[in-house]
Amino acid sequence: MHTLVRLTSANLKSFTRDRAAMFWTLAFPLVFILLFGAIFSGGTSRFTVAWVDGDGSPSSTALLSNPALANVFTLKTYATADDAIAAMKQGDVRAVLVIPKGFGSAIASAGAVGGAALPLTVYTDPSNQQVSGTITGIVASLVGGFNQAASGRPPILALQTQTVQSEAISAVAYLVPSILAMALMQLGLFSAIPIVEQRESLILKRIAATPIKRRTFIAANVITRLLIGLIQAVVILAVAQVVFGITLLGNPFVFAGIVVLGALAFIALGYVVASFAPTEDSASQMVSILQFPLMFLSGIFFALESLPQVLRSVAAFMPLTYLGDALRQVMVGGTPFVPLGVGVGILAAWLVGCFLISARFFRWQ
Amino acid sequence: MTLAQPVIPSGITHADAVIRVRDLQKRYGEVQAVAGIDFEVGRGEVFGLLGPNGAGKSTTIEILEGLRTQDAGEATVLGLDVRSQASALKERIGVQLQTAALYPRLTVREVLELFASFYTSSVPPDQLIEALDLGERRNAQTRQLSGGQRQRLSVALALVNDPELVFLDEPTTGMDPAARRSLWELVRGLRAKGRTVLLTTHYMEEAEELCDRLAIMDHGKILEIGTVDQLVGRRFTERTVRYERLPGIDDATLAAFPGVTRVAHEDDEATLLYTRDVAGTIGALLGAAEALGVEPRGLGIRSPSLEDVFLALTGHAIRD
Repeated sequence: MHTLVRLTSANLKSFTRDRAAMFWTLAFPLVFILLFGAIFSGGTSRFTVAWVDGDGSPSSTALLSNPALANVFTLKTYATADDAIAAMKQGDVRAVLVIPKGFGSAIASAGAVGGAALPLTVYTDPSNQQVSGTITGIVASLVGGFNQAASGRPPILALQTQTVQSEAISAVAYLVPSILAMALMQLGLFSAIPIVEQRESLILKRIAATPIKRRTFIAANVITRLLIGLIQAVVILAVAQVVFGITLLGNPFVFAGIVVLGALAFIALGYVVASFAPTEDSASQMVSILQFPLMFLSGIFFALESLPQVLRSVAAFMPLTYLGDALRQVMVGGTPFVPLGVGVGILAAWLVGCFLISARFFRWQ
Repeated sequence: MTLAQPVIPSGITHADAVIRVRDLQKRYGEVQAVAGIDFEVGRGEVFGLLGPNGAGKSTTIEILEGLRTQDAGEATVLGLDVRSQASALKERIGVQLQTAALYPRLTVREVLELFASFYTSSVPPDQLIEALDLGERRNAQTRQLSGGQRQRLSVALALVNDPELVFLDEPTTGMDPAARRSLWELVRGLRAKGRTVLLTTHYMEEAEELCDRLAIMDHGKILEIGTVDQLVGRRFTERTVRYERLPGIDDATLAAFPGVTRVAHEDDEATLLYTRDVAGTIGALLGAAEALGVEPRGLGIRSPSLEDVFLALTGHAIRD
C-alpha cells in the first residue's frame, strides 16, 4: 500500500512538472469549450417563451405587449399549458409562462378583495440554469411590479416556478459532455506515452530489478491517470457551470462512475498501443493516428440521427460514442442514443477487450 | 611457450559461496551471448567480470539479478535459484544497470525515497546522498544531472536496501577520475563491511585496483579466473619491450633476439617483445634498426599487466 501511494505520488509529481502534459490534459479541453461555447451560444439574449393565456381578459391580452416581456422575449402563443410544455420538451421554446384564470379581475380589484394571491406559473429547464435564472428573474420582476402597484395591500400575484426537463438540449449543453468524453479519451490514449518512455529509458527494467510487483507498478500508473481524469471532469464541470450555467443534473456518483469507466476503457486502449509501439515516437504517432477517427467517427460532436447511415454504423462501434452518450444522459439529459445500461455495458466490453490484449502483448523490456 | 598452458577452471570452491554459476548459457537469435560459463563468488569478495563490450558480461549479470532467464545451466545467488526464487532474491540484492535514466522529473531525494519504499528495510536517503557525494544536487531533478552524477545516483539506488550482494554493471563509465576513485573507496568500504560485490568493467585499472578475483570474458566464455597476481604470474615470468612497429624486421628475427620468448602485435601499431633479458633484447633491437637506418620510436619497458594477459588470452586489446 505504501509503495502504491509512493509510486502514484511520483507519477503525479512527474505529471505536474511536465508543462506540455499539463496543457494538453487540462488547458486544452477548456480552450475548446470556451471557443465552441462562444460560437454556439451567440444570440441568446432573446429567448423564445411560450405564452398560455388562461384568462383571456383584456388585461391578460395587454400583457403580450407589455414592454417588460415583449422587449426581452419572443412570445409564442399556445392554447393550453400541455401544448406549450410539449413544445418546450422538444426545444421549440425555452420556458412556458401561464397566465392564470381570474388575472384580469384580480388586477381590476387590485387587492380590494382579500384572499390568496393568484399563482402565475413559469416552467423552466433546470439543466440550463443561466437561461432559466434569467427568465425567472424577468417574470419575477413583472409580478413584483403588479404587486407594487397595489402597495399596502396583500399581493395580487404569486410567482410559481415549475421545472420541465427539456429533451432537446442546447448546442453548448450537447458539447460539454462531448468535450469531457474527448478529454478522457485523450487522457487514456496518451497514457501509452509515459509507459513506453519508461520502457525505452530502461526505468521499467530498473523497476523489474526491485521486489515490487508488476501489477503494483501498473496499478499506480492507472490510478494516476484516473485521478487526472477526475480532476479534468471537475474542472470541465466547473467551467460549464460558471460560464454557461450548465449544471450536473444526474447523480454525481453515477457521473463519477461513468468518468472512471470511460477513463479506464481508454487507458486500456492506451496500453494496447503501448504493447505494440516499440518506441516513444512510434507510440505518439499511433496515438495521433488513432485519436482522429475515434473522435470524428463517433457521435460526440453531432447528433447521430443527423449523420448518413454509413457513418452511423461506424459510430455505433466507437467507444467514444457511448462515453459521450452516457455522460450526456447523466449531465444534461437529452435523447439517449442507447439506454445508459447498454452504453455502460459496451464501454465495459471495450475495457475488458483492451485489457486482455495488453495483458497478452505488453512487453517490459 | 606460455600460451600452451591449460586454462585453469573456475578457481576456488567456496564453502560459503554467495554466487554459484554452472554451465550458464544464453542465446539471442544467432548470437550465443553466454556460452556455458562456471564460476563462484565467496562472501565478502569483490569479484570482477572483465571483458570488452559484447563479451556477455551484462547478460550474465542480468541473469544473476533475475532480469533475464538463462537457456540452460544453473545459477544460485544467496542460496536462491535465480529462476524460481527471483522475487525473494530481489529483496536482498542491490542492482545498478548500465544505462541509468530514472524518473527525469523527480529530484535525487525523491527517487531515493521512492526506491526505498520498494523494500522492507532501507537506508535513509540522506545517508546515501552523503555517501555518493550528491549533497549539492539533492533537490535537482534527475534530468538536470551530469552523466557522472546520474551514475552516482544509480549506484546509490543499488545500495538503498542495504543489500548483502551488490551488482555493479560498468559502474564508473562516464565518471571523471576523481569520481571514479571515490566510487572505488565506496566499494572498498562495502567489502570492509563484509558485503559482496560483483562488478563488470572494461577498465583494466579498475579491475587491478578493486577486484579480489577476476574472470576474463570474451565471446560469451570465461577464459580464465583468478587474482590479478595469479592471472599475470601464471602467464608471464618475463617483462615486455614495446615499440612502434617497424615493418622491416620480421617476427622470426625478433624471436631470435636474446631472451625473447614471444612476439606479439598490438592493433598492428605496436610490437611487444616478451623477454627474460631486457638489456639483451633492446641491444639486438637497436642493432637491427640501425642496420635498416631507422630508430625505434616509443620504445619502453613494461612489467606485464592484466592488459597483457587479456591480449595473450584473446589475441586482441580490450578496447577493440
